[in-house]
Amino acid sequence: MAKRSFEDFDSLRNKTYSDWTIVKRLMIYVKPYVLQLLIALGLVFVLVGLDLVGPLFLAAVLDSLGEPNVDFMQILLIVGMYIAIIAVNAVLSYQQSILLQKTGQKIIFNIRRDVFNHLEGLSIAQFNRVPIGKLVTRVTSDTDTLNSMYTDVLINAIRSIMTIIGVFVIMFTQNASLTLLISLVVPFVILASVLFRVYSRKAYRMVRYNVSSINAYLSEHLSGMKLIQIFNREEKKYQEFKQKNVKLRKSYVLQTVTFAVYRPLMYMLYVATLITTLWYGGTQAINGLMSYGILVAFTQYISKFFDPIQDLAEKFDTLQSAFTSGERIFELLDMKPDIKDATEAIELQGFKGKIEFRNVWFAYIEEDWILKDVSFVVQPQETIAFVGATGSGKTTILSLIVRNYEIQKGDIFIDDINIKDILVTSLRKHIGQMMQDVFLFSGTIESNIRMRDDSITDQEIVEACKYVNADRFIDKLPLKYNELVRERGNNFSSGERQLLSFARTLVHKPSVMILDEATANIDTETEELIQESLKKMMNIGTMIIVAHRLSTIQHVDKIIVMQKGKILEQGNHQELLKKKGHYHTLYMLQYDKRLLIHQSNK
Amino acid sequence: MIFGRHVNRFYLKYGFFFALGVAALITVDWYQLMIPDITGSIIEGIQYNTLTSSILEGYMARLAVIAVIMIVGRFLWRIFIMGTSRRIDYELRNDMFRHAEKLSQRYYQENKSGGLMALFTNDLNAVRMAFGPGLMMFFDVLFLGGLAFYRMYLLDATLTFFAAIPLLMVSILAAMVSRITGRKFKDRQKAFENMSDFTQENFYGIGVIKAFVNELREIREFAKINQDNYDKNVSFIKASTLMHVGIEVFINTIRILMLGLGGYLVYRTIGLDLTDPGKFSVGDLSRYVSYFGMMVWPMMAIGRLINMRAQANASMQRINSLLDQKVEIIDGEDVVDVHHLEGKITFNNLSFKYPNTKTEVLKNLNLVIESGEIVGIIGRTGSGKTTIVDLLLRIYNLKANEILLDDTDIMKLPIKTIRDQVGYVPQDNFIFSDTIENNIGFSSDEIDLNQISKIAQYSDVHDNIIDFPEGYQTVVGERGVTLSGGQKQRISIARALLKDPSILIMDDSFSAVDTKTEEMIIKNLQHLRKGKTTIIIAHRISTIQLADKIVLLDEGAIVGVGSHEQLLVSSPLYQEMVLRQQLEAEVEGGM
Repeated sequence: MAKRSFEDFDSLRNKTYSDWTIVKRLMIYVKPYVLQLLIALGLVFVLVGLDLVGPLFLAAVLDSLGEPNVDFMQILLIVGMYIAIIAVNAVLSYQQSILLQKTGQKIIFNIRRDVFNHLEGLSIAQFNRVPIGKLVTRVTSDTDTLNSMYTDVLINAIRSIMTIIGVFVIMFTQNASLTLLISLVVPFVILASVLFRVYSRKAYRMVRYNVSSINAYLSEHLSGMKLIQIFNREEKKYQEFKQKNVKLRKSYVLQTVTFAVYRPLMYMLYVATLITTLWYGGTQAINGLMSYGILVAFTQYISKFFDPIQDLAEKFDTLQSAFTSGERIFELLDMKPDIKDATEAIELQGFKGKIEFRNVWFAYIEEDWILKDVSFVVQPQETIAFVGATGSGKTTILSLIVRNYEIQKGDIFIDDINIKDILVTSLRKHIGQMMQDVFLFSGTIESNIRMRDDSITDQEIVEACKYVNADRFIDKLPLKYNELVRERGNNFSSGERQLLSFARTLVHKPSVMILDEATANIDTETEELIQESLKKMMNIGTMIIVAHRLSTIQHVDKIIVMQKGKILEQGNHQELLKKKGHYHTLYMLQYDKRLLIHQSNK
Repeated sequence: MIFGRHVNRFYLKYGFFFALGVAALITVDWYQLMIPDITGSIIEGIQYNTLTSSILEGYMARLAVIAVIMIVGRFLWRIFIMGTSRRIDYELRNDMFRHAEKLSQRYYQENKSGGLMALFTNDLNAVRMAFGPGLMMFFDVLFLGGLAFYRMYLLDATLTFFAAIPLLMVSILAAMVSRITGRKFKDRQKAFENMSDFTQENFYGIGVIKAFVNELREIREFAKINQDNYDKNVSFIKASTLMHVGIEVFINTIRILMLGLGGYLVYRTIGLDLTDPGKFSVGDLSRYVSYFGMMVWPMMAIGRLINMRAQANASMQRINSLLDQKVEIIDGEDVVDVHHLEGKITFNNLSFKYPNTKTEVLKNLNLVIESGEIVGIIGRTGSGKTTIVDLLLRIYNLKANEILLDDTDIMKLPIKTIRDQVGYVPQDNFIFSDTIENNIGFSSDEIDLNQISKIAQYSDVHDNIIDFPEGYQTVVGERGVTLSGGQKQRISIARALLKDPSILIMDDSFSAVDTKTEEMIIKNLQHLRKGKTTIIIAHRISTIQLADKIVLLDEGAIVGVGSHEQLLVSSPLYQEMVLRQQLEAEVEGGM
C-alpha cells in the first residue's frame, strides 16, 4: 500500500507563492472580462459622486430656509433635483451591482471548471496524498471565497477608498481648516483598524480551525456511531465532543469580544470627530464664518467617512482569506499529473492481451523497493495468478498494469508496445479491474452499472447481472434495478457490492480482467459461477488474479509466487508442486486440512 | 426570539444575562436619540444668534457624556446578548450530539450523514441567530423605533404619519419580497450542496472512474452542475440586488420628501416666535430628519426579524426532529440487574424483518450455543449471517424470548451489560482517525501499551505497526485510509480482543488476510478464547472448520448444525461447499 503523507494543508500559509504572484494569476481569470469590470469601475466613480453630493443638497435646503426671504420654489427645485439624483443613482447602482456579480460568477465558473478538470487528470497516488475533504473544499468553498475577492474587494474597496477621498475633497472645498482638523483623527482610526484586524484575524482563524475540527469529528463519529454504541463508548465520546465544543465556544466568544471592543471604539472616534466638528464649526458659525447648513452637511460627511473605513478594515479579512484560497487552488493546479501520455502515445488497436514485465523495479517511496527486478510474460488468452503473503507486491503489479503508477526501472510491455507509449485511456478501456474494496456511487443499481455510458442497453445490464448471479438478490428488491444505492452503497452487503461491481465491469466488455481479491466477500458457489461466466465471455481473454486462497486458482495456466517483491517461482499448479518449493509449502498448509476433510468424507 | 420545547429552558437559565443585555441596549437607544436634539439646538442657536461659546461648551460636555454611556452600553449588550447566544449554541450542540449517540442504526440508515451534519451547522446557526441578533433586533425595533417615532410625533404629528406609513409599508413589503429571495437563496444552497456531494463522491470513487476511463463523462456532468450553480447564484443576486436597491431608493425618496414637506412647514411658520408651540424651526427640521434616519434601521429590521424567525423556526423543527427522535433501543421496564454473562446463547424460534421492510431475513431460527464454544456460521451472500450479529448486539429490538443470553431474554438484559460483554469485529472494519494505540484501546478508559502490543501480537499486526515511523502513535487518516485492508482488519480484531469479552463475534474478519495469517490468528484465538464463547462468520470452510460447532445458513434459515465432520455427512449443501472449495485437493489427493 502507498504510504501517504499528511501535510497539514490548513497550517499557516507557508508562502509558496508571493502575494504578487497570486494577484497576477488571479488576474489571468479577469482578462476575458476586463471590459465588464472597467464599466463597473467607471460606474463606481459616477455612483460615489452622486452619493456624495447629497449632504450639499441638504445644506442648501437648510440654509435657504434660514434666509430672511425664503424662496420656496427654489427649495422645491432643489428637492426635485435631489430626487432625480436618487433615481439615477438607484438605476446605475443596480446595473453596476449585477454586472459585477455576474462577472464574478462567470470567473468562478471558469475557475471551478479548471480545478475540477485538473483534478480528474491527477493519478490515484496523488489523490491518496490529500484528504478528500480538502479537495472538495478546493472546488467548492475556496472558489466561493475567491468570488468575494473579485466582487467585494476589487471594486468595492475602490469604491470605499474613492468615497473617503471624495468626502475629504468636498469637505476641503467647503471648509479647509475644519477639514484639516478632522483629518487629525485619521491616524487613530487607522491604528484602531489595524489593531482590530490583527485581533479579529486571530479570532477568525481560531473559529475557522475549531469549526472544521468539530465538523470533522462529527462527520466521522456520526458515520461510526454503530461502533461507538457497540463498544459502550458514548460517554467518553461525549466528553471528547464537549471538549471540542468548549474550544469552539471560547473562540466564538473571543470573536464577539473583538467586535464588542472595536465597534464601540470606532464609535468613540466618530463622536470625538463629531464633537470637534460641532465645536470648531459652531464657533466659526458664531463668528459668521460658516453656515449652519454646511455644519449639518459636515456631520453627515463624517459618518459617510467612517462607514467605508470600517468596511475596509473588515474587507481586509476577505482579501486575506481570498489570498489563502487562491494559493491553495494554485498549489493544486500546479500539481503536475504523475501519469502523462507521451507526445507520440498511441491508441491500442486490435488488442490481444499480452502483458510483459521486464526487470521491473518499483517503489512508492524512494529506495523502499516494493518490486525488485520482476520479470514475467502473460500470453494472450492466458489466466495467471499471483500468490504470496500480504505485502509481497501482488496488488502493486496489478496497479502497474493499468499504469496507476510509473515504474522507476525496467519496462512493461502491453501487446509488445511499451506501456509508456500507449494512451492511458486506451489502456484502461481494455482492462477490467475488480478490486477488493468496492466503491458504489449513490444513485441506482442501474446507474452504478451503466456508469453514465448511454451506449449500454438495459438488456445488457440485466444480462451482466445474470452472468454474475447478482440477479438473484436484485430481483428480490422492491424496485429491482432502480433500487436506490445510498452513499458508498452502504445499504448493500459487501458480497452484494462485489457482485454489482462484477456486473459493472463485465458490461463494459473489457478484454483483460484483473481481479484483486475480488471474490473475498462472495461465497464459494457464487465465486465459481462468476469465474465460469468470465471464461464463457468471449471478449475476455487474458485474466490476472490475486488471491489469498489457493483453492480458487489451481486451474490457472500459470501461478506466480511472490515474496517480498521478488518472484520466487512460476509455473502451473502441477509443475510448482513437483518443484517442492515455496508453493508446495503453501499448498501443504491448506492441503493438510483438506486431507482431513477428504478422509472423513470417506 | 424563538421558542420551542428544547430551547425554552435557556430563557430561564440565561434570563439574567439577557436582561442585562437588553437593559444596556435600551440605554444606548435612549441616549442615541439625544444627539439630534443637541445638533438641532446648535442650529437654532446659530440661526438666531443665541449661541455663545459657553453654551456650545455645555453641549459638547453633554455629547461627551452621552458618548461614554453609549460606548459602554454597546460593549455590554454585545457581550451579554451575543455572548449568551454562543453559550446556547454550545449547549444545544452538546444536547444534539448526546442524543445522536442514543439513536439506533435504523435512524442512521435512513438519514444521510450529510443531512445530519447540516443540523449541526446551518440549522444550529439559524437558531443561534434568532437568539443573538434576533433578540437584539427585536428590542431595537421596539425601543429605538418606538422612541424615534415618539419624538418625531412630538415635533409634528401629520408629518410623522406621512413618514411612518410608507416606511411601515416598505418594511412589510420587504419582508414579503425577501421570502422570494429566501427561496432563491435556498435554491442556491441546494445547488452548492449538490456540487459538494458530487465532487466528494467523485473523489472517493476516483479509482473506479479511472478504471472505467470515465473522466470525460464526469467532467461533462460537473459542467452541468457548475452551470446550475452559476444560474442559481445569478438568479439570487438579481432578486436580492433589486430588493436592496428598491428599498434604498424608496427610503431615500421618503427622506427627501420629508425634507421638502418639513421645509414647507418651516416656510409656513416662518413668522412665528421660536417659543410658539406651532413653530417648526430649521433646527426642528434637522432633528426631524435625523430621527427619521434613526427609524430606518428598526423598520428594516422588522422584515429581517420576520425572516430570521421563519428560518430559525424551520431549523428548530429540524433540530427538534432529531432531539424528539424516540430512542428505540432502551432497557425495558422489566430489566434484570445482570453485569456479567457466561456466554450461553439460545435462539428460540427467531424470525426477523428489518424495520419498515417486508421480507423476513431470518426464519424460525432455533439454536443453542453453549458457553465457551467456538461456533462458525457459514452461508451464502445474503443468507442472514450479519443480521444475526446485529441482533446479538441488540442493535434492533426483538419480540420476547427470541434470543436468550445465559437463559435470560436479551430484551430484559441491560444494554450496557450486553455491549460490555460482547466483543465485535465489524465487517467494514471502521477505524477512527486517531492513533493506532487509541484505536486498539478503544474499549478501555486507560491505555495499557503492554496489553495493547500483546493483543496486537495475537492479532498478527504488531510487526506491521512497529514498522510505521511512529509505531503505535501513528495517526491513521480518515476512516483509516493510511492502512491496507488487511491491516485494518487485524487492528479491528485486536480492538475486539482487547475487551476480552464473554462473547466475541467476528463478522467476516479474515477476508483480507492470507491463509497463513488467518491460521495463526485462529490458533491464537483458540488459546485466548478458552472458556469463552466465540462466533466466527465466514465464507470459507478453512476459517471455521476447527470450530466446535458450525451453523449452516441458507436464505435466512438454519439448514445444518454440527461439527465439520458431522456436517460433511449430514448436510448436502455443506458437502457441496466443501467439495467446491477442495475440488483440486481431491484431484491431487492421490499424490
